[in-house]
Amino acid sequence: MDSSDFASKKALLIEDMAEARIMQKKMLSDFGFRHIEIAMKAETAMELLKTQSFDVILSDYNLGNGKDGQQLLEEVRHSNLIPNTATYLMVTAETSIEMVMGAIEFQPDGYITKPFSQAVLQRRLSKLLEMKNRLYKVNRALDQKDYDKAMEEAKQVMEQHPSLEGKCQRVIGDCLIEKEQYEQALALFSNILKDRKMPWALFGEAKACFYMGMLDKSENKFRQLMLDNRFFVSAYDWLAKIKTAQKKYHEAQSILIEALQRSPKNLLRQIHLGELSFTIGDYLTAESAFRRAVFLARHSCYNTSDVYLRHIESIVKLAESTPLQSRQKEQFNITLKKIHRYFFEESDTRAKTYSYQLELALLEKDLITAKGFLKLWQQEAESGEATAPTDQQLTHYHAAFGEKNEENGH
Amino acid sequence: MKKMDISTILASAIHESKNQVGTLLYQLQGLKESIPESDSKNKKITIIEESLKKLNDEWVEYLYLYKLASDGYQLHVDTFSIDEFLDDQVFALLSSANAKNLKLTYACPENLMGVFDERLMTAVVGTAVYNALRFARSTIEINASIEDGYLIIGIDDDGHGFDNSEEEDLVESNTGLGLYFAQLSASAHISKGKSGFLKKERSPTLKGARLAIYLPQ
Repeated sequence: MDSSDFASKKALLIEDMAEARIMQKKMLSDFGFRHIEIAMKAETAMELLKTQSFDVILSDYNLGNGKDGQQLLEEVRHSNLIPNTATYLMVTAETSIEMVMGAIEFQPDGYITKPFSQAVLQRRLSKLLEMKNRLYKVNRALDQKDYDKAMEEAKQVMEQHPSLEGKCQRVIGDCLIEKEQYEQALALFSNILKDRKMPWALFGEAKACFYMGMLDKSENKFRQLMLDNRFFVSAYDWLAKIKTAQKKYHEAQSILIEALQRSPKNLLRQIHLGELSFTIGDYLTAESAFRRAVFLARHSCYNTSDVYLRHIESIVKLAESTPLQSRQKEQFNITLKKIHRYFFEESDTRAKTYSYQLELALLEKDLITAKGFLKLWQQEAESGEATAPTDQQLTHYHAAFGEKNEENGH
Repeated sequence: MKKMDISTILASAIHESKNQVGTLLYQLQGLKESIPESDSKNKKITIIEESLKKLNDEWVEYLYLYKLASDGYQLHVDTFSIDEFLDDQVFALLSSANAKNLKLTYACPENLMGVFDERLMTAVVGTAVYNALRFARSTIEINASIEDGYLIIGIDDDGHGFDNSEEEDLVESNTGLGLYFAQLSASAHISKGKSGFLKKERSPTLKGARLAIYLPQ
């Protein structure tokens, strides 16, 4: 590949070690890249990915104290922050490569192990771009969520380039799942497994079984995947989904807790644990899960008010059974401040926030504060800044204030 | 004090050393770029670079060996174009061969596909080629074919061959680790009840030694 191919592409380099960063940046510009952005950690990379689009992402697995390269990849792929047409090359050490290869669900397009020379990186990158180029129409269709087109293109690519057959088959299987054609998907994955035990095909089977409601079968397959692959942590999430579907909530909860012990920085899993704990009324676990989620959400693409609101809601729920400890009160106020800072433009968020503050004041039998909040809320509802309290809420508040119901109607 | 597993300790010590080799390689590359290509020092730097690269590859081999021997290696097989795979191997090892004035080539049928663990086989081919570099007179060839449901990757040279006790002894005297590693790597590949294995043969084409790695498909 000549350098003009690189020149038109935009690269993002994510590396925490200064020496390697300088070296790799030099390599990329020597290849002909004219536009190279640099991030020293996953959180900065996320901000860049939110605001700009890149063709090539070269990310180290190890990124210091924050998220690692694999978590970053999973988050941006899961949220479609980077298109399927973009190329993600992971830089790993001998010890971390297993984490990357074991993550069956979201894998980078390629990896390169340290240390590597300029020539080796150039070769890897060229080959990878060539492969992505061959799959371009497939990936573009996937980005447009045109699954029929993606399958058709995949079939064509597979015929022309036999070495891409596995990748194409996987795309076709996943498209069938997207189209809810689970029987066909299952048949496709099973057919591949007849030939060779490919983890992605077993994963496909397990997913298809899950959607077809064959939960025990699905569970067996996920357990098999976990046995073969101890770094396949997202199998835990699927197991938790299965247990939830079977209404075995406590089992689902312990599975998620176990998975979080292995990778505590996984935001979606923290949210999942929080929601599940709400379902079973375990507000202590819900509070700690959402507290961590709030902490992780800030530099993620899931930074929505819901996470924060759920956290303060869990503390209100805790207050229903026992008076809050000062530490919990403090947590409430910390998250409250964040809501004020980031989300107070949203009228629904304002309304919900007031409702929780009001509820907490009521539980603490602080009627004056509670009434103050209601007054503020109603004022802001009139000016349109906040969504108005519902009739049901008003009835509840007035009853709690010891006022008669007819007093609120005017 | 709790007794610790010495092999685990050695494995992490090797890992530390390997990382230092990596840092040295980076620094050397920086040094190389700071002096003009015509400078006579360049030759020396290239020799140091080659040695460090070999050292790094050896550490990697030992780490995999440790993992394979302790059942801690997770095999990740995928389908590869053999032509591309062998091209990659020659690309990575060619400078080492050139430094010894040896020819390193590869040969395989077009469109040959194979299923194997790429990292492991990269390390195995590297080990075999480094070994062949010590015995070849002028040429080393990596080749591949599929026979009876096995992918066979061969490393042939034009040295004395395995029949000559000297080469055999030297392979073994190098503590035999390389061969042992290749053996474990081959047998870690299992498909449809068959596992991989090694054959030490006489090269039919180059008349020297031939190490053939059989991987079930």
